[in-house]
Amino acid sequence: MAQLFPRWTNKIPVYLAIGVVILAVAVVFLFWYYGSPKYLEVGYQPRQPVPYSHKLHAGDLGLDCRYCHTSVENSPAANVPPTQTCMNCHELIKPESGQLEAIRRSWKEGVPVRWTRVHMLPDYAFFNHSAHVNAGVGCESCHGNVAQMEVVEQEKPLSMQWCLDCHRNPELHIRPMDEVTTMGWQPRDNQLEYASKIIEKRNINAPTDCSGCHR
Amino acid sequence: MKYKFNGKDYWRSLNQLAETDEFREFLHREFPDGASELNDTMTRRNFLSLMGASMALAGLVSCRKPVEKIVPYVRRPEHVAPGIPEQYATTMPMQNSAYGLLVESREGRPTKIEGNEQHPSSLGKSNPFTQGAILGLYDPDRSKQVRHDGNPSSYTELVTFWRKAYTKYLRRGGEGLAVISGAFSSPTLARLRSEFLNTFPQAQWAVYEPVSDENVFAGIEIATGDRYQPVYHFDEADVVLTLDADFVLQERENILHAKEFADARRVESAGDTMNRLYAVESSFTLTGGMADHRLRVQRRQIGVFTLALANALRSQGLDLPALEGSAKESYRFDMKWVRELAQDLLSNRGTGLIMAGENQPPEVHALVYALNSALGNIGNTITFRDPDDSVTPDMESFRSLVKKMNDGSVETLFILGGNPAYNAPADLQFTRALEQVPNAIHFSDALDETSRQCQWHVPESHFLESWGDARAVNGTRSVIQPLIAPLYESRSPAEIFHLIARGEDSDGYEITRETWRDILGESTFQDDWRRVLHDGVLQDDVSEPRSPVPDQQAIRRALSNYSPPTTSAGPSNLEVVFQTSHSVFDGRFANNGWLQELPDPVTKLSWDNAAVMNHKTAKELGVRNEQVIQVRHQGHQLELPVWIVPGIADFTIVLELGYGRETAGRVAKDTGFNVYKLRTSESMWFGEGATVSPTGVTYELANTQDHWSLEDRPIYREATLREYQEHPEFATEMVEHPPLENLWDEHEYDESPQWGMAIDLNVCTGCNACTIACQSENNIPIVGREQVRKGREMHWIRMDRYFSGDIEDPEMVVQPVTCMHCENAPCETVCPVNATLHDDEGLNLQVYNRCIGTRYCSNNCPYKVRRFNFFNYTKDTPEVEKMGKNPDVTVRSRGVMEKCTYCIQRIQRTQILAKNENRDLRTDEVVTACQQTCPTDAIVFGDITDPDSRVRQVKQQNRDYAMLAQLNTQPRTTYQAKLRNPNPALEDYELTYEGVDNNGEH
Repeated sequence: MAQLFPRWTNKIPVYLAIGVVILAVAVVFLFWYYGSPKYLEVGYQPRQPVPYSHKLHAGDLGLDCRYCHTSVENSPAANVPPTQTCMNCHELIKPESGQLEAIRRSWKEGVPVRWTRVHMLPDYAFFNHSAHVNAGVGCESCHGNVAQMEVVEQEKPLSMQWCLDCHRNPELHIRPMDEVTTMGWQPRDNQLEYASKIIEKRNINAPTDCSGCHR
Repeated sequence: MKYKFNGKDYWRSLNQLAETDEFREFLHREFPDGASELNDTMTRRNFLSLMGASMALAGLVSCRKPVEKIVPYVRRPEHVAPGIPEQYATTMPMQNSAYGLLVESREGRPTKIEGNEQHPSSLGKSNPFTQGAILGLYDPDRSKQVRHDGNPSSYTELVTFWRKAYTKYLRRGGEGLAVISGAFSSPTLARLRSEFLNTFPQAQWAVYEPVSDENVFAGIEIATGDRYQPVYHFDEADVVLTLDADFVLQERENILHAKEFADARRVESAGDTMNRLYAVESSFTLTGGMADHRLRVQRRQIGVFTLALANALRSQGLDLPALEGSAKESYRFDMKWVRELAQDLLSNRGTGLIMAGENQPPEVHALVYALNSALGNIGNTITFRDPDDSVTPDMESFRSLVKKMNDGSVETLFILGGNPAYNAPADLQFTRALEQVPNAIHFSDALDETSRQCQWHVPESHFLESWGDARAVNGTRSVIQPLIAPLYESRSPAEIFHLIARGEDSDGYEITRETWRDILGESTFQDDWRRVLHDGVLQDDVSEPRSPVPDQQAIRRALSNYSPPTTSAGPSNLEVVFQTSHSVFDGRFANNGWLQELPDPVTKLSWDNAAVMNHKTAKELGVRNEQVIQVRHQGHQLELPVWIVPGIADFTIVLELGYGRETAGRVAKDTGFNVYKLRTSESMWFGEGATVSPTGVTYELANTQDHWSLEDRPIYREATLREYQEHPEFATEMVEHPPLENLWDEHEYDESPQWGMAIDLNVCTGCNACTIACQSENNIPIVGREQVRKGREMHWIRMDRYFSGDIEDPEMVVQPVTCMHCENAPCETVCPVNATLHDDEGLNLQVYNRCIGTRYCSNNCPYKVRRFNFFNYTKDTPEVEKMGKNPDVTVRSRGVMEKCTYCIQRIQRTQILAKNENRDLRTDEVVTACQQTCPTDAIVFGDITDPDSRVRQVKQQNRDYAMLAQLNTQPRTTYQAKLRNPNPALEDYELTYEGVDNNGEH
């Protein structure tokens, strides 16, 4: 009987098999890389309803993080300040500024400002700010140098892997308590030794069990 | 594994004894057939198999980063820090009781109720009603608007209407004006009521409660000539006799009574003494379960029983006048029982306590007063106070008002709370009388049966939204302060009382302060007021105890006129007994999902009530479980299904109140049967001459008693006090098994803290407060009747109930079961994705985001404590209900397994707090929700490595045992075996534990 298929088609199954494997590996790799928080989350810089500049307030004017984010030392959440905090100054400073229109309207009408959240953890991960701040982890360690940002952007991936890197070796990121809100802090030369002493003294015990964050 | 169990034989239901197919089905498959399929034609499985791969690909399109908004305050209140809960003190009024509470509030939303330690009626604890009350605040079916003739209206319109009528009635002295209210005990409401009655002397004020304690007051009035409020002190009592009084849950002040009773019952070592409880009852209640001796009599016979007891006491030397009651010989009681009971009471003069239930007629209460007085108990185990500020129910006033309504002489009627169109006695025909009233105004929390008939409906604020005050049973006054501004256009009771008394609208805050200016005095009012708000009570405000003197003549006279039915109930002459519901009380909690799904502690029915009877009665009547029968009583009838429970008095049908509501809301729809239709004003608590006929229909009841069965394994251990004293180690010796060896390396639990729990079965009453507290704290969903029938109720802590002994006269025990947090957890080794694992502190963790829903862990758990979310039970949660959820706990979705976590959110919060304050955890600082709420402190939790912790002390007691220890799971939750303290002369409890002699032989 006549051959329906030319000879070169014999190689097709082999090439197909190898090709599918390579394709599968490639797809997995692409998902792993482009789907990871490092790619998806880092650089997220959403538009905010009010053009609030951390660079101006925290950087040039030197406001401490805690002036506005007041509950960070006692509460799991670091709160975004109420409109009242803005009006503390802006009642008198630049009261007519167009950029502050939304704030003034919120104050007058009693309707809160709806900020867009930048640093988001999924709902099944429970993060506690006060535990970290009181352990000496700097704001900068997770949020980057916010005092240099006109618009807040996410600098760190905040993935579980990234969190565990520090939880397993917290020495690199522990600061003296009065440097927690410093932007641009450089670890000292004997950081590891210094930090180990602090960890010992303050009984810092970063959990690596699932119960640390997942409840 | 071979083991020998020398304890009692326990059975969960008659089905189990009979080894029916239904029971076997539940045993062999933890989730019965079809459990993972929704009963729809298009099931999930069918759908997926149809759609196939195209479904998977379509999902990718929605991969966008979600946008979340942060919405801060505009002006943040001074003390609120987002993320940190605060607690405020308030009070929950319930009829004429008051329960002081501390309510946890997050950013202005109340989320969890706890008891207030400083309040004498709660002492820091709660019961299922107080725990479940928070769901009532966020009930989506609450009424949101004033209604006039069915149309939306506003409160100002009502005020306008009333002000016009007010001046008219002022001139007339109140003729044509009437009020129906419930019972209350509150300085402000009492003051405003007096004002109203002074302003309108001709007006009628009837007080009606379907669950009423007026017989208690009437009895005391017969006995002493005056009205007094009894205050019981169970902690002083060595011998307690209850006459159809379920003081553990159905009678009021159950939190206080259970706690005090447990204090007298608690045993820590073999040298301790215990109190003794005799229960005489017709239905099977939790008190009967706790009792050392229980006598089953029909409710009609209890008065006669008390007379027989009085005679026995007198013949044994007690100084009692000769009392005659008619028909005292026509019932046959176990006279040995009566005699030994009398002897015991006599040996414990001054430390005995006889309590008659609210359901007994006044004559019985008068007699009980006389007995307590003669025994010297008054002043020690019972004290009395003047019922100041207390307005108690009065059936006569209600009856006469209904008559006036029918005569047409009532023009304007205010119904303040309550739901008389639903729960008034059937013979009064309240709905017909209400039709005769041209202007009826109903003030209630939902557009219920009564509101639909009234011209005006005004929404009532929940107590968590109201200002007011209340007076506890011992006289202590406290303030009700709101945790949140009213969610809707509603008014609090104080504001409505003010409106009708003064004709003007005012704010509850001002009204309450007006009362308290008088109470606290003007000079330091501001500081004193703030202190009362802070503490939740007015300190040192216990009323002066009164010492009323019994009027023997009056008692004798009352008893000679007392004529209870002379014949026992029989198959064609049944007794119907009305019982307060352990879940919905009198029907007010019918739309509360948690309470509806809570299985009744004895019958284990959820979502419905039934005609509960014992096996003998059912056999005589020829009926079986779930068969619908028609019950006829005094010309009224009702159809409802049968449910057989052992231990009920013969030829008695127990009917639970509060079900069958038609217009309570989405949860209450189609739940149960309205037994108020059978209740008449002459037979509020029991009726005679009822007949029953089958209808041929069946009704499927959601009953949990065969769920999670443990197949004859030695799960419960108990002994009598004497056995304990002779064999202090009986709890561990009861089960013999080969030495336990591990297959794998053991964890080293050498670091503190290590968490553990101890549950004392000796004091656990089975009230289920822990179940509701856990549900509130951990965002546990409700699943509905159909799902409960399939065994999918989600309670993380369940109350198992076992019977033992004679099939007609069994004993009952209860056991709360949570995740045991086994050190060698069988669930952890079989999870394919490691979603359940152990942490360094001994907790067995469940990581929801990792769980893929294999359910192998639940399969492997020998205690059956794991709960699976077969469906997305929280998908359709109304927005307002979301406000009440605990933000520290994940709300689980479909497909994940959940279970008790030892309240890990509380552990974390406390540990972080300690770290932030740079200190170690204090002893017993972490308190789980169940431990916090348990009235008897049966549940103890803490760090077992801490030598000072209570849990370590309890675990070292010799009654400590681990459930199913022979499986070598090494659970962190252990139990303390139950003890009973039977009267040695009445040893009707078989000695089950033969003991081991010195040679190790039996």
